[in-house]
Amino acid sequence: MKGLDSRALRRRNESAWLVPADGRDVNHRLRADMRTFDDDDEVDLVIVGCGAGGSTLLQRLARRGWRVVALDAGPFWDPEQDWVSDEAGSHHLYWEEPRVISGADPVPLGSNNSGRGVGGSMVHFAGYTPRFHPSDFRTRSEDGVGADWPITYADLRSFYEEIEGELPVAGEHWPWGDPHGYPHSPHPVSGNGEVFLRGAHALGIDARVGPVAIANGRFGHRAHCIYRGFCLQGCKVNAKASPLITHVPDALSRGAEVRADSMVTRVQVDDRSGLATGVHFLRRGRQRFQRARLVAVAGYSIETPRLLLNSASARFPHGLCNDYDQVGRYLMVQGAPQTAGRFGTEVRMWKGPPPEVSTEAFYETDPTKPYKRGFSIQTVSPLPITWAEHVSAQGHFGDDLRRYMSDYPHWACLGALCEFLPRADNRVTLDSEQDRHGMPVAHFAYSQGDNDRMLMKAAREVMECILRAAGADEVITIDRFAHLVGGARMATDASQGVVDRSCRTFAVPNLFITDGSVLPTQGSANPALTIMALAARAADLLARGARSGQPPTRKP
Amino acid sequence: MSASSSGQPKLPLSVDHGGGRYPGLDTLGQSSHWDMATTGVVAPRVGIPVGLRFFTQREEAVACALTDQLLGQHEDPRVPVVRMIDSRLAEGQGDGWHHVDMPPDDLAWRNSLAALEEDACSRLGAPFADCSWPEQEASLRAIQRWRGAWHGMPAQSVWSLWTRYADTAFYAHPWAWDEIGFGGPAYPRGYKHLGLDAREPWEVKDIRPTLDPLRLRENP
Repeated sequence: MKGLDSRALRRRNESAWLVPADGRDVNHRLRADMRTFDDDDEVDLVIVGCGAGGSTLLQRLARRGWRVVALDAGPFWDPEQDWVSDEAGSHHLYWEEPRVISGADPVPLGSNNSGRGVGGSMVHFAGYTPRFHPSDFRTRSEDGVGADWPITYADLRSFYEEIEGELPVAGEHWPWGDPHGYPHSPHPVSGNGEVFLRGAHALGIDARVGPVAIANGRFGHRAHCIYRGFCLQGCKVNAKASPLITHVPDALSRGAEVRADSMVTRVQVDDRSGLATGVHFLRRGRQRFQRARLVAVAGYSIETPRLLLNSASARFPHGLCNDYDQVGRYLMVQGAPQTAGRFGTEVRMWKGPPPEVSTEAFYETDPTKPYKRGFSIQTVSPLPITWAEHVSAQGHFGDDLRRYMSDYPHWACLGALCEFLPRADNRVTLDSEQDRHGMPVAHFAYSQGDNDRMLMKAAREVMECILRAAGADEVITIDRFAHLVGGARMATDASQGVVDRSCRTFAVPNLFITDGSVLPTQGSANPALTIMALAARAADLLARGARSGQPPTRKP
Repeated sequence: MSASSSGQPKLPLSVDHGGGRYPGLDTLGQSSHWDMATTGVVAPRVGIPVGLRFFTQREEAVACALTDQLLGQHEDPRVPVVRMIDSRLAEGQGDGWHHVDMPPDDLAWRNSLAALEEDACSRLGAPFADCSWPEQEASLRAIQRWRGAWHGMPAQSVWSLWTRYADTAFYAHPWAWDEIGFGGPAYPRGYKHLGLDAREPWEVKDIRPTLDPLRLRENP
């Protein structure tokens, strides 16, 4: 990164320089000195959830002098003490409170798509941070499927650039969508990445290294990647980005409070004024209430709808912001088949970060195909337990399973992200089952459409071709899902969605949603970067509003 | 029974089934290179097992026979997978979801073990654990292939529950890592030698690289 860019970045977000220079993961002083608000303080903004969306909003508005508190149901992680270089020992990174799943194609939750604690799902995301393509914002107009967003790619572009600088993102020049470069150069690749590049090259498919939110080279006081390969178990090194290190430190230094271990159970709305007045939450077994002038919900696609539905009142008998039966609907997952290939040489795919190489050559609608939209392909590299689940899914058990597993070093693995289309009936509702607080658990129903199934098949065929072209003698595929977006989507009017183009709910003027649930479509891109960019944009609009005299008017 | 240099036993596995491919690999022997937090979660897996808290004695017998089958554990030393599953269920450490037509994981385990026992007693005239290895295997294969309800639960969901918990317990264990060539925890050391056929000095090369499991299946 050039000197000038670096100075501008530091003026915008100093997090990387607030990490201690002594090699420790956490600036304990910053946490010990954290400003704290009383429940009775009417803060300018209370944020529910401290993941990609919530932390970005927190940092941006703390920088503008707002009095902000972010509540998170999980812990305030200390990576050195709380995270381990071990697959089974990392269960606590996932949202493991009960949830019920159903539908023709039920989607398992937990480890694959649901985070907990400060940093959210980005703590255990692989690290891929592609942008959406300009076409993603207009799939209804251009392809006759999905939905058009009330904003365009151009509205997000500058925020993509900012966040890419702050994570930072490493990768080759990116030729797809809106072509762009990345602030850090591409990382070296391991055996798995070599296989992908070799196979793609043999077929004339353009595949590139990146885009990965792992610093490559000097970045503040953050340590360099050690290529240990446990990205999905939380980066103890501080090399892979998560809001815990990319946005929370700067927010704390600017007077924000992060209140961990605080489960929000209800958003309070005054039925007379129609405005949100704060949030009810549970902390250390006690019911509490944080007053606030504005409320932002950023609990992700399952918990955000659950919270709104659980916040019913006389004014909103069917759930908060749910006058048009939109809350919880159009929830999406990506079809994420993983295809593995067997090589005579040793690949040892667990070495090096799982996110290395990807291609978006199949991202857009191909008029010669029977389906609309497309898929991306990326390296993935399952650790032993996940790999055993792949092998078990082929029907192997007993001696057969052990024999397969003993062959682990010889396998390379690719994963696709297929753009499944939004469907109204794919949704979160409240179940009759209750959690230990007596709050109804989320019930997530999911079924695929014909286009979705065609994409899964096409992606699988391409991955098999790539692996065979790289020299694989055998290939196996497991069908699975990845990511969650939608559930409280952005739309042009209240009958079509829950929030407007600025992430403000149609129903309650001082209630915002700033997480992945506002996405109307999902592309074939991993959603983290787009969620952060949307939150940064929402913060920008809020801060401008404050200057033009809208709430909040209080001086910090 | 052979043992590694760190004194850990090798799991018994025949050469035909992939045993002995990484001679001398000893992941626990590398533990001086691990961080404290990681050692804290891995070491207890080879330590003194804690007592059962969730399964009753009868359930334990069925669960041991079931997981021996699922993981091909014919004889001692075995990875104590039932202890590990028991701990998860006792601590309520589920996966964070359950199918609408399945009870939560703890109850699903109890019900499915009872169902397995009931089938064995009524069809084979003996408790599941007392049935022969081939009889047990045949019953499980029938459940694995069954499409539809089995004792009020979708058979496929039951199969998925069993294999998920069994795989997680077994392949969390350092003895299993030694068997599959996996190096275990990698912090703070990391890896220096990335790429095809590249190994760290302490990693062990596969001595039977032609033991392709798919080929074996085609030409047993």
